[in-house]
Amino acid sequence: MNNNPYLPELATVQEVITETGNIRTLRLTLDNKESMEKFTFRPGQVGQLSVFGTGESTFVINSPPTRRDYLQFSVMKAGEVTSRIHQLNAGDQVGLRAPLGNGFGFEEMKGHDILFVGGGIGMAPLRTLLLYMIDNRADYGDITVIYGARSPKDMCYTYEFEEWRAGGVNLVLTVDAEFPGWKERVGFVPTVLNEEAPSPNNRIAVVCGPPIMIKFVLFNLKELGYEDPQIITTLEKRMKCGIGICGRCNAGSKYVCLDGPVFSYDQIRAMGGEL
Amino acid sequence: MLETDRNQLHKCVEEALPELDMMIGWTRCDPLQTTPVFIRDAKSISSLTLGPFCSQNLAGYLVKPPALDAPPKPDAKPIGICVKGCDSRSLVALIQEKFITRQRVRIFGIPCGGTVDWRKVARHVELGSVKSADVQDRVLVIEDSTTTHRIALEEVLSRKCLGCRHPNPVISDVLIGAEVSPRSTGMETSYRDVDELDAKPLEERLAFWQSELDRCIRCYACRNACPLCVCQDRCIVETREPRWLTQHVGVPEKFLFHFIHAMHLAGRCTGCGECERVCPMDIPVTLIKEKLNKIMEEMLGYSAGLDPEAVPPLLTFNPGETEI
Amino acid sequence: MAVKIFIAADRLDSVLEKLSTKIDLWIPALLKDDKSGPTGFVQYTPGITPAFDRQTTMPLKKLLLPQEETLLRFKYQKDPEGSLKTTIALDDPKEARPTLVFGARSCDVRALVTLDRVFANGPYVDPYYVQRRKNTLFATLVCGQTDSKCFCSSVGGGPADMEGSHLRIVRLEDGYLVEALSKDAQPLLADLAEAPDKSRDQLAAKLVKEASKRQVGDLDTKDCAPAFRNRFQQNDYWASMVSQCLSCGVCTYVCPTCYCFSITDETRNLEGERLRSWDSCMFYHYTLEASGHNPRPTKLERYRNRVGHKFSYIPERYEGLLGCCGCGRCIRSCPVNIDIRQVVGNLKENSNEQ
Ligand code: SF4
Ligand code: SF4
Ligand code: SF4
Ligand code: SF4
Ligand code: FES
Repeated sequence: MNNNPYLPELATVQEVITETGNIRTLRLTLDNKESMEKFTFRPGQVGQLSVFGTGESTFVINSPPTRRDYLQFSVMKAGEVTSRIHQLNAGDQVGLRAPLGNGFGFEEMKGHDILFVGGGIGMAPLRTLLLYMIDNRADYGDITVIYGARSPKDMCYTYEFEEWRAGGVNLVLTVDAEFPGWKERVGFVPTVLNEEAPSPNNRIAVVCGPPIMIKFVLFNLKELGYEDPQIITTLEKRMKCGIGICGRCNAGSKYVCLDGPVFSYDQIRAMGGEL
Repeated sequence: MLETDRNQLHKCVEEALPELDMMIGWTRCDPLQTTPVFIRDAKSISSLTLGPFCSQNLAGYLVKPPALDAPPKPDAKPIGICVKGCDSRSLVALIQEKFITRQRVRIFGIPCGGTVDWRKVARHVELGSVKSADVQDRVLVIEDSTTTHRIALEEVLSRKCLGCRHPNPVISDVLIGAEVSPRSTGMETSYRDVDELDAKPLEERLAFWQSELDRCIRCYACRNACPLCVCQDRCIVETREPRWLTQHVGVPEKFLFHFIHAMHLAGRCTGCGECERVCPMDIPVTLIKEKLNKIMEEMLGYSAGLDPEAVPPLLTFNPGETEI
Repeated sequence: MAVKIFIAADRLDSVLEKLSTKIDLWIPALLKDDKSGPTGFVQYTPGITPAFDRQTTMPLKKLLLPQEETLLRFKYQKDPEGSLKTTIALDDPKEARPTLVFGARSCDVRALVTLDRVFANGPYVDPYYVQRRKNTLFATLVCGQTDSKCFCSSVGGGPADMEGSHLRIVRLEDGYLVEALSKDAQPLLADLAEAPDKSRDQLAAKLVKEASKRQVGDLDTKDCAPAFRNRFQQNDYWASMVSQCLSCGVCTYVCPTCYCFSITDETRNLEGERLRSWDSCMFYHYTLEASGHNPRPTKLERYRNRVGHKFSYIPERYEGLLGCCGCGRCIRSCPVNIDIRQVVGNLKENSNEQ
């Protein structure tokens, strides 16, 4: 990044993938070749994506640092900026301030079994770490992914599932209700988690999804014997500066933009609420 | 006299409190100032006060937290509230617009001799050194560490009070103290400030508002304090979609904000003066609304907040009307 | 080179005028032609009378963090082939002009200790702020106008505190004794006025000494963080303290240590700018997320955040630093007279009851 942290770099949309009715994935490259080559980040770090004239919004870079052809962001249409992003096409230019935030502690996860639990768009932040682990497969033990969505139509990255499985991932897919042609599991994520019951021994759970899912998944993980520090998640907040100055994104004394988005559950508990 | 009235208030509230959800009133927090209190517990009744320092209009709390519970529970007890003359009109306006029902409120009406504007007091004494303040026979008596100052109450009354036509609550369940005679009875006296400004040439008026609004910091206190600005968190000056106003702080943006604010209050504003009272930059923003109120009165013979049964003119709008 | 000068009261105007030819000069002054009206810092032009005898309504933060500023400009330029192609021109932090604030108070300058920590000494540096900060000098009054809302001594400052100041101004009966406290301020005093005579010099020293002994405010701000955490979930506490709050944001706008800002894009046709403007954590929209979820939906959570930010979060993040300079502005300007000293003071009282 340049020395003015408010100044985005220009980037160009290379490809837009329609994931679901309201989620799109953008693949970008920085216009400055040198910046693109030198760009490094940790899985879980975020970018502030700008559509000039509308504003900025924060997304996890969901491609892994091991794959450098483009930077990938998945965007669910919710507000002003995300709606504008959904109108972008290949060739359009955007601004990017990245990488920002802390990222996952993938070094400490080495040698552990990993459980990913994702719901809906919550799979996006998990994807970067998952692919990173697939690319460094020997460093990690069992990798189980439980990914659920309302229906098969609401699932992201379906075109990659085979690759994940081939990469040595135990992929458990589930949808909320029966659907014609659906051959995988049916049921809510927390229920499927209980059925799978991955052992907490030497395992780290990384959870991401809608608040209601998180609530029940957390409860079930505790039942399964997981301790707070073993459970990792990412937080979202309305942000502006993205660099720990404006103070907008605070949860207790932590700034989600700077100290997050990745937190363990013991850290979250210490924040005292207001999420 | 004030003492007797205060005792009467305490007694009436004490009797009523068991039937009330809460009592909204004022308490003294500084020699010249009060702060709103929400009383549920008989122990706190003694902190209630009334009189010329009770500047805040409490009616707004009925439609904003903490009193607000929409939709109200069917068995909800009434809320007790202290109102001065002008405050009572805000309350009526809220009833007219069906934000609250008459049954939901127990009104403790307080005939009002005018409220003190601390800024005007500051012209006479250094506020920071005031040790005590009291009003005796329409004289404000202030003690600081060395001197006793005596200031005629007239000199330190809020601007809105000087043209007040309804110092006695227009609606109430209990009246605390004796009625007072209004200082103004007609349009000539109550719109004096508007007329004075209107008499000036256009350039002067423009320059006046330019310089006044130049100070505005867009804090929106004037909006938040208005008992009838019921949109609150949905206000168009802050909505993000669509975005109506830029974040620039130039006079044109502020002008726009203030005129939107005023237009949304046309035929609804009761002239309680809260917007002007709360402005940290001392901008006479009520004047804009007073001008509209005057037009309403001249054109339609209507004044807001007098008759709970009346329908405010701009609410009579009929989408099928062909003449618009 | 002059280190101390005495400005006779009747020469203040001409001295300020001369000073204003050397540097951009800002002074506290009335913002309205009414001696009890609002005051703030304004750029000096001959004829403006300084308002030294009471604290300004508006703090001086706008000099370092203007209410609105352009972070960058952008322009969409049409490509010959018809697709929209972007080019961005950046408005880099402008060269800030050397500026002197003459007649700030201890609390005003002390507030910058907090802002500096946030804007200039964090993992990311705000270049816009830093540029202006580096170029601004402060001539600070030894404060004689304490009022009942001041509590600067409670937060580590005090009426004679000169932390962050470059010059000290002592008011005497018949004028002002101005002393350079740092080398870069000395040239400013050259040829402005004579050195003080011995008796005035001694008198000034005595006044400084007295002022520095004065304890302003008795709020105990030690260990607020644990007390705050205890109170965090006690809704009744916050309801009993701030139910009357209007969420109006006045307290944050007048506060010299509040610095919340928003960033928005403003466009006209194919060009526009990214604007930074003051915002307030007392507003509902401040934390409203696109999904409609709001982590601080009511004024209770929002006021709690203001107190937490100043007395718990900032101290936790920045080695015990407080986010309040004790100026009392939020108390003076609150339309419903909420007193932050009470809210903070009561954090510790019986905080484990209930
Ligand atoms: S209260 Fe005063 S300063 Fe604030 S927005 Fe209203 S007019 Fe402007
Ligand atoms: S100034 Fe007072 S009423 Fe307004 S937001 Fe601050 S505490 Fe609340
Ligand atoms: S919180 Fe209040 S007293 Fe503290 S610095 Fe801000 S305005 Fe001054
Ligand atoms: S807070 Fe302290 S320095 Fe500031 S005006 Fe009050 S006494 Fe003076
Ligand atoms: S977004 Fe500004 S501090 Fe996090």
